[in-house]
Amino acid sequence: MNNARSIKQNAGADALPNFRNLGITLRILLISNGMALLLALMQAGGWADVPQRMMQIATLLTPILLAMLVLLWAAQPWLDRLGYWRGVLAVNLSVVAMTLATYYLGGELYRPPNRDDGNFDVVRYVLLSVTVSSTLLMYFRLRTHALSHALHDARLQVLRARIRPHFLFNTINAVLGIVRTQPRQAETALEDMADLFRMAMSDARDLVPLQKEIQLSKQYAALEQLRMGERLRVDWQMQDLPEDALIPQLLLQPLLENAVYHGIEPLPQGGCIKVMLRRSGDELQLKVENPSLPRSEGTHRGNKVALRNIRERLDLLFDVEARYQVESGNDFYRVEITLPYVKERPKIKERSS
Amino acid sequence: MSGNEQTLRVFIVDDEPPARNRLRDVLKDCSEKLPLQIVGEAGNGREALDRLVELPVDVVLLDIRMPQMDGIELAQHLQKLPKTPVIIFTTAYDDYAIKAFELHAVDYLLKPIRLARLFEALTRARDAVPVQNEVLRELSPEPRKNLSSHERGKIYLIPIEQVLYLRAELKYITVRTAEREYLIEESLSALEKEFAARFVRIHRNCLVAKEAIEGFEKGGEDSAESAGWMVKLKGLGELLAISRRQQHIVKEFG
Repeated sequence: MNNARSIKQNAGADALPNFRNLGITLRILLISNGMALLLALMQAGGWADVPQRMMQIATLLTPILLAMLVLLWAAQPWLDRLGYWRGVLAVNLSVVAMTLATYYLGGELYRPPNRDDGNFDVVRYVLLSVTVSSTLLMYFRLRTHALSHALHDARLQVLRARIRPHFLFNTINAVLGIVRTQPRQAETALEDMADLFRMAMSDARDLVPLQKEIQLSKQYAALEQLRMGERLRVDWQMQDLPEDALIPQLLLQPLLENAVYHGIEPLPQGGCIKVMLRRSGDELQLKVENPSLPRSEGTHRGNKVALRNIRERLDLLFDVEARYQVESGNDFYRVEITLPYVKERPKIKERSS
Repeated sequence: MSGNEQTLRVFIVDDEPPARNRLRDVLKDCSEKLPLQIVGEAGNGREALDRLVELPVDVVLLDIRMPQMDGIELAQHLQKLPKTPVIIFTTAYDDYAIKAFELHAVDYLLKPIRLARLFEALTRARDAVPVQNEVLRELSPEPRKNLSSHERGKIYLIPIEQVLYLRAELKYITVRTAEREYLIEESLSALEKEFAARFVRIHRNCLVAKEAIEGFEKGGEDSAESAGWMVKLKGLGELLAISRRQQHIVKEFG
């Protein structure tokens, strides 16, 4: 689980991709095979010829590709220490070595006995391999750049997107409403608000302990309950939550805020938001479900900014290892997020420098 | 307004108890300089309407964002009262409404409520002109959820989804539900515009709920005005004539 580190990589200067990440591996497999297919199309004389050409290419490509993936997986810590350009060189040299090894060890598979072309075959195979690996590295470099830009934007959006002005002003008004009669409660409310805004203004790239995010979400719920009283109920169901789990900050609170704003507030009798948190194996599951007005009466004037923001951050941080699902029925709305169980890593900062 | 009576009678409508608290506190502060009296409060639109029918007030402080019936809709129903109170809207953050308020010079207060601002609004309230219904209609991006009919000193709310048809008759419009008829004083074309998604015009003087259409029958006289088609509505015995101009709806809904 190297995700904690890959976050900082996105933000920093050039870095090799995290070869232990499932998304990276999938991309490598897809892109190299896509290029192989393109090559097969160019060589083939007709549609019928394509599968055979593809097979031919695959006999050489597949062993090299799989061996490289294993090698890179194993060499990841070492590659990280090399720095970017030396890392690129190392990857390309390994590709050359792996191509040569496969070519010579493969014997007659790659060198039919009746064919003597000097060293034409081996040279073009090496060239092809280096082209593929360089293209991939270039792609990952561009992708890192694109994503870190998005991350920057996401940071700028923190305040605007996550804490609604509606919530801010209504809560201040509510605190003013109780300050004369219940000063102590008003104090707690202001303290909770300070915590909430401190979190909203801090670095959006940071992972925070799951327990802290739960605590913050409970403070948020208490603020809303101050305004809405009995109308808002929150049912917390937590199962086997690990103490050391880290999650992106302000992941749970905005889900809750959305559930209050779109779900509970328009309901005259209010309702109960169910928050289900559990660990299953290597993953954490977060589920937030709220009742909603039947759709025909819809007051959902779809402010989806908060949800889009969450989805983008998850993509950025965990790539395909996090999943995001929305289910909505006639009278309920449910968001479910699955993300990898990332443990505390004290060395995060050191590795990015 | 309150005539000779000097004391301003104020009514509070907000769904959040601490927000009502806040208004009470600040109103108390105002009362040191301006004679006023809080005559009541309500936590939702329906309750407010029931109270205000019996309780004469000068000013209603009215929250916009409330469940079920929002402040703008409530304000429209309050226009049916024999003595329409002055309405001062309150809102925490509502871009759309605030722009419209500015445009039509409707008084509103931003939450958190400030003493000086409330005082100013109350002072002005004595000479304020009630907001026009057309303006209120414009303030709300969504159609009302209810129609309201003032009958023998009571205001009846008619949930729009219960309305089968609306028919213009001389000065009034008949609102027909499965149970009974109500009379309202509004314009049919304004209603047609507001509830375009729900009703379809079958005749110069009649709109029917699309959902309520059960079928069409040939009958009635064939004249220049009528093509002889009648519409049958669910849960209603009577048939309504379709005009020649609107005959195309037989195909659309048949």
